[in-house]
Amino acid sequence: MAGATDSSVVRGDTSTYETVAAVTVGLAAVLFFLGLAATVELVSITGTLAGLPTLTTLGLLLVCMGLAVAGFGLVSYRGIFPTDPRASAGLVAAGLFAGLWGLIGALVFTETLGLGLLGGLGGGLGLGAVAFFATALPREDVGSTLPAGALAAFFGLVFLLGIVGPEWSWSPANFPDSQSVTFFARSVAPFAVMASSLVVGWAAAKAYGGFGARGRHLGAYLLVYLNAVAIIAILVALVAFVVFKGFGPVTEGIEVGLGVGPTTTIGLLGFSVDVVWPVFWPFLMNGASLFTDITGVFPAIVGTAWLVVGAVVLAVPLGVGAAIFLTEYAEQGRFTNVVEVATNALWSTPSIVFGLFGAAFLVPRFAPQKSLIAGMITLGFMLLPLVVITAREAMIAVPDEYRDASAALGVSRWQTIRSVVLPAAMPGVVTGVILGVGRIAGETAPLLLTMGGGSFVEAGRRAKVLGNFQLSLSPPFVTNPELTQATTALPYQLWQVVLTGTGQTAGVDDVTAFGWGTALVLLGVVLAFYAVGIATRQYFRSKLTYE
Amino acid sequence: MSETEPQAESTARSSETTTGETDERIREEWSDYSFEGEAKLAVEDLDVHYGDDHALKGVSMDIPEESVTALIGPSGCGKSTYLRCLNRMNDRIKAASIDGSVQLDGEEIYQDGVDLVELRKEVGMVFQAPNPFPKSIRDNITYGPRKHGDLDTGLLARLTGRDDSDDADALVQRALEQAAIWDEVEDRLDDNAMGLSGGQQQRLCIARCLAVDPDVILMDEPASALDPVATSKIEDLIEELAEDYTVVVVTHNMQQAARISDQTAVFLTGGELVEYDDTEKIFENPESQRVEDYVTGKFG
Repeated sequence: MAGATDSSVVRGDTSTYETVAAVTVGLAAVLFFLGLAATVELVSITGTLAGLPTLTTLGLLLVCMGLAVAGFGLVSYRGIFPTDPRASAGLVAAGLFAGLWGLIGALVFTETLGLGLLGGLGGGLGLGAVAFFATALPREDVGSTLPAGALAAFFGLVFLLGIVGPEWSWSPANFPDSQSVTFFARSVAPFAVMASSLVVGWAAAKAYGGFGARGRHLGAYLLVYLNAVAIIAILVALVAFVVFKGFGPVTEGIEVGLGVGPTTTIGLLGFSVDVVWPVFWPFLMNGASLFTDITGVFPAIVGTAWLVVGAVVLAVPLGVGAAIFLTEYAEQGRFTNVVEVATNALWSTPSIVFGLFGAAFLVPRFAPQKSLIAGMITLGFMLLPLVVITAREAMIAVPDEYRDASAALGVSRWQTIRSVVLPAAMPGVVTGVILGVGRIAGETAPLLLTMGGGSFVEAGRRAKVLGNFQLSLSPPFVTNPELTQATTALPYQLWQVVLTGTGQTAGVDDVTAFGWGTALVLLGVVLAFYAVGIATRQYFRSKLTYE
Repeated sequence: MSETEPQAESTARSSETTTGETDERIREEWSDYSFEGEAKLAVEDLDVHYGDDHALKGVSMDIPEESVTALIGPSGCGKSTYLRCLNRMNDRIKAASIDGSVQLDGEEIYQDGVDLVELRKEVGMVFQAPNPFPKSIRDNITYGPRKHGDLDTGLLARLTGRDDSDDADALVQRALEQAAIWDEVEDRLDDNAMGLSGGQQQRLCIARCLAVDPDVILMDEPASALDPVATSKIEDLIEELAEDYTVVVVTHNMQQAARISDQTAVFLTGGELVEYDDTEKIFENPESQRVEDYVTGKFG
């Protein structure tokens, strides 16, 4: 396109065209998040927005933006504003618009016009083909703006004219009665708004960049950016939802002051000291009891903590050892490839399968009942493949230069692994363990089969593992009755209380609130393990870097 | 790192037909190359194959002690392979098979019962890219001796009163002084070595190698990743080291070879040692036309 425009390294002052395009991009982003907010009903489709019914406001915005975007294309096409468009918007954009418009065509021809299956097929294919050629054949500035602007204007008009109103609903006739499906405006409209705002936003960003390479860069940047922000928004919303629902039940009845809390006895070598906590937090410190006002989840917290600790203690040495053998000693070839595929497959194995394995092989071997140790080992097996995978990746990432340097100093392979390779791989290993802990701490299915006893346990009957190791002179020399007993854990208790309704008998008044509270505590426990893991990783990392 | 390229081999084969005979005669002549004193390393008919690649073809050369020997030649000529044979680092490459004889102080190093730990303590190595461990400067220096059990600074040693911390400090200072980096790092010995500049890292690697007290130091293009100032420091260091150590340096840089070495071996494509003589002779009046072409920049 040399000579088509004045080429200059320095871009001139911002023009009206660019200002309007930038505003349109911003409006598209706002509209996208309005749509996102409407999906979780933060913005009500049946209510009002900026003084008008929500759908009317959204429709107006969409029409304006559609017209603006089409305007950019025409301004650029007529050469009113110098841009640098390519010959065509490209096949990807054409395919995408063909798909969107084809879908619209099919729906309109079958449902609105009532032309049936064949009419819908023809309408969809026809409109899709028109959109395809309208995108692919003209110059880039027209091809990427007109179909986008038309799409936004179409949805805008549908909302403005009340074709889809707040009370609109659509039940496709082709489903059997027993599976009737109904789409409501409150679920369909937000997605239409989000889709069309993405499309006009992309087109406006391209127009802002003057099409061509810079325009494509800006268009792609907008899509990637909105995508990233939307994902973060969804995650934040999820956590916020749990906190919002669970905060009430969890914080109920907290007392602060000297001597209000429970008493902890710390014993060492025959001496014991009683410590009275200055905080009383019933939900975290109580167990299930008919004599307390507020039923708590203390035994479940203890159970989950022991499960995670047990699984990590089991899986990390085994997994790291296997990874050392596979990366440092085994010849890279068919055997290591098979092991790699097998560990990956093991990591994707459904947890209920691990649970069944635990129930069949572990439970009968340790105690003839479901037990804490069977749960620990089952979860340890679940964690093992991830530790192997991440430890292996981390060790492969350790530069061979370190191994060469160590070998050239006459240091043996094992000493090299221990002093150079493992320290350098440690942050990666810890990252893997952190990820794995998040998964196993929330596992419910294996615990149902291997560990779960009564779901509501009194505070006094929690798993008191540390205080119950008993030495004996006959094998196995160390026994711990707590390990061979069934106990409870947070996800298990959550499942019990929400699904089986056993809570009422244990003094829980509001089962749903108790469930949300348990979920929040579970989230907190997992985050606490994360914090420990991140601190550990930081410790190992600080030993490797020069900060 | 692959040492041979198929292309290189084919050029070697074509030039062999024209110059092979004269090269053979010249090799006969310089194989009488004699120097004063003992041969520290004596290499006889060394052949290396990487799978089907014949990377080194029947190389024989004796290396005198307490001197700098430079190995020069174009990429893929086998000079690094040769260097890595001298402390059996090629054993770490599974595809490599090595035939021939290498004697260190008259003892064959390619035979059963050779202790690789002892061999590599005698024959140290410095690599092309600086490769300090991600540990403190002090730990980098003491790494070798500690792993060999010559220094014990662990907790148990401290508790039982067998602590070698003073010896370790003395060793760290000696090695860093020998590598001419002590003045730059003496007040930050506990900082991570990765924070040093490239040139400092390379001198630290030389110090790390000196800390295990070797007789021979092999250097594989030790300055090729460094800037001119750092390079000249490394070159000065090599010349100083030659007073006490036997240094063998692979280099791409012919000026460097001419500046620092006492004798030079020229490897040309195909893994052949074409000429080996006093450095002055190689650069001013080589026997082989190919070597003259190479050192004057007409080829390679």
